[in-house]
Amino acid sequence: MILPKFKYQRALSIAEAIDFYTQVDGQARYLAGGTDLIPLLKQRLLTPAAIIDLKHIKALKTLSQDDGWLAIGANVALFDLKKDPLVKGYFPALAESLEVTACETLQMRGTLGGNILQDTRCLLYNKSLEWRTARGFCWKMGGQACNVVPNAQACFSNYCSDNAPALITLSAQLKLAGPRGERTIKLEKIFSGDGRKPLALEPGELLTQVRIPLEKTKGTYEKLRVRDSMDYPLVGVAVSMKGSSARVCVGGVGPAPRVYQLNKLDETSIKDGAGQAVADAKPVLNATLSPVYRKKMVGVLFKRAIKKVQREGAR
Amino acid sequence: MRTMKVTFQINNEEVTLQVRPYETLLETLRERLSLTGAKEACGMGSCGACTVVMNGIPLRSCLVLAPEADGAVITTVEGLQQEGKLHPLQEAFMKKGAVQCGFCTSGMIMTAKALLDRNKTPTKKEIVRTISSNICRCTGYKKIVEAVEEAGKKTT
Repeated sequence: MILPKFKYQRALSIAEAIDFYTQVDGQARYLAGGTDLIPLLKQRLLTPAAIIDLKHIKALKTLSQDDGWLAIGANVALFDLKKDPLVKGYFPALAESLEVTACETLQMRGTLGGNILQDTRCLLYNKSLEWRTARGFCWKMGGQACNVVPNAQACFSNYCSDNAPALITLSAQLKLAGPRGERTIKLEKIFSGDGRKPLALEPGELLTQVRIPLEKTKGTYEKLRVRDSMDYPLVGVAVSMKGSSARVCVGGVGPAPRVYQLNKLDETSIKDGAGQAVADAKPVLNATLSPVYRKKMVGVLFKRAIKKVQREGAR
Repeated sequence: MRTMKVTFQINNEEVTLQVRPYETLLETLRERLSLTGAKEACGMGSCGACTVVMNGIPLRSCLVLAPEADGAVITTVEGLQQEGKLHPLQEAFMKKGAVQCGFCTSGMIMTAKALLDRNKTPTKKEIVRTISSNICRCTGYKKIVEAVEEAGKKTT
């Protein structure tokens, strides 16, 4: 498949990357692993004038401990991160979500930052330009309709990161840098909830670091998919537990992951939490499994994940 | 748009080329260097038929921009044989009959090569997990996994 025309710039520092961005009046996209970006370019879902390559910025590749936090550079490859003993020992939900992301070859190329900042997906959006022109443009393409749900005024595309739900259960924060300076926000605040523009990033902002509080947790990640390799989650449920409370995050359904706090872990609380997650999940016919099945599986995986962690904890 | 000069090492040979900034490494390999071992199947990074090893890492060359390869060391399936002698992986694929239509084979071999380079004796489970990065729609993987196992034993 042929790429659209663009300029290529290799940035050697964060400041230089932002500088390049402002030079082309914001008509640019940042490139890390490219496993999400390049297919979007090939399908003409994005047509930037310039691509700014961040892979040679050393500061984005470091993994360090800093004052009670694990600071992960945005360009750390998923494969390297899942091998990290600290991630395995302290953040099992993240480690498991990394293990089931795409496949090994893509994990070696794909980065944590890129995984978090991936675009939302829809069966009728991630298509070639010819296909989309024939069908008519939807909200996310700048049109005036949803091609999945007739007369809908919103976009139902799915946010398909495996790692973001796991990181949300671990109370992770994002460090962003942009033309207007740096800021640090909670990971869940990055989601706008609008499938048309799912990430609340300011123009020119790039993710520099993912920060996780260094506290030992128990946890797991449950993923529904058709193939055991490569597939995006059709539903993904991450759980992290500290003491007798748990944070649960449901991804893969709709444009933003949803987080639930369970302060007690008895049968009733788990059942109520799962019931709430099922009620909140509004899957539509835009993925490879039926919405009814995916909705039901939100509850099933919610309960299964918590029970699994409880069982392992008791061992 | 202007072309860019890139220099990289390919199969132990240094090349300098003028490439378009919006050209994939796969296009450069196939169309400028006539290295047609890496195949384009999906073109979207799903199938792995275009896998080459760059700086020790197996990657989808259809997802890599040609200018990204500047300064890199790349091995394609054409670079596996040494002085006319096939790589143990190539031998094992032939011996086990791990090829049907052959379109996925070069990608499979490159993924497997990167695995054997970092782990000389992978378990069957590890081979299955690694090789699941590549899609083959005819053989059913059994013979491919057997071939990688055998090649692993030979290289130790």
